[in-house]
Amino acid sequence: MTRARAAVDRAAGVCFGALLLMGLLAGCGRSAPPWGLRDITGLMPPLDFSLTEASDGATVHGKDFRGYVVLLYFGYTHCPDVCPTTLSRLSRAVAALGPQAEQVRILFVSVDPARDTLAQLKTYGAAFGPQVVGLRGSQDAIKALTKRYRVSYGYGKPDAHGDYEVSHSSAVYVFDREGDVRLLADATAESPVITGDLRRLLAE
Amino acid sequence: MKRALLSALLLAVTMVAQAGPPPVAIGDARIRWLPGELPMAGYFSITSHASTPLRLVGAASPAFADVMLHRSLHEGGVARMVHVDDVALAPGQTVVFEPGGYHLMLMHRKEALQPGEEVPVTLRFGDGETLEVPFRVEGAQSK
Repeated sequence: MTRARAAVDRAAGVCFGALLLMGLLAGCGRSAPPWGLRDITGLMPPLDFSLTEASDGATVHGKDFRGYVVLLYFGYTHCPDVCPTTLSRLSRAVAALGPQAEQVRILFVSVDPARDTLAQLKTYGAAFGPQVVGLRGSQDAIKALTKRYRVSYGYGKPDAHGDYEVSHSSAVYVFDREGDVRLLADATAESPVITGDLRRLLAE
Repeated sequence: MKRALLSALLLAVTMVAQAGPPPVAIGDARIRWLPGELPMAGYFSITSHASTPLRLVGAASPAFADVMLHRSLHEGGVARMVHVDDVALAPGQTVVFEPGGYHLMLMHRKEALQPGEEVPVTLRFGDGETLEVPFRVEGAQSK
């Protein structure tokens, strides 16, 4: 091979590489931009449960929330730091949607039904905004739901007052209007990021 | 015996009386309000201007039966709370009590509280020194 021929081959190779790169970039341009939260589409079963709604004592099912974009979070009302911090972050993210906030529900499922009465859950949910729905169930119902979404929780030893702490997953699952799981928000997810993703899900 | 006890008591009282506020600066002292009887969290930042190490060992408030130093931990996607015996403060160091980390756990409120009110909280240090700090009560949805 002559030196000139090798140079031509190299040039062709570079051109081919550049074309390939452009093609890839064009391909990326056509696909959707990445989500702010973690995309877990298809990794969890669709929204399904049977629990009691704190606001009116009615039994509600996962399918009752079809048509809404749903944020599912597990916690307990005697949690002074992590749960209020998460709920406040979620409700601020939803409020930032403006009128579209009405199409979003934040489901707060108590993993401490022994202390979380319906009345307690109702006032607690209301403190975080109109989109928060407090949900209560029997230990069996909660076990089934937490197992379905691979959420863990456990109870600490009661103190002299009978107060105890509850450890629980910090995960927030986001479901689309069809009830399919789409995104996972962890403890560090900031409100504007959540708002951006909710806006996209609402536009689908 | 009685006299010894009395002088010990007097000494203790004198020591408490002598213990002035330590050289620290407190910032953004606030409580996130929650409804009913639920425990609430208090947040603030503390900067030591002392020349020797300080230890924050506790807190108390006339508005609550119990105030404890707590810390939230996130491990493997699970959140839990642990009781903290003390928080060390090196000279010049700032420690921030903030959502998801160190916080005061304010339990068993003695009277109804509403956002907008102010509550005194006394921080207690390792040498028996104390500092009263006004904490403002903020809404549940505050940051």
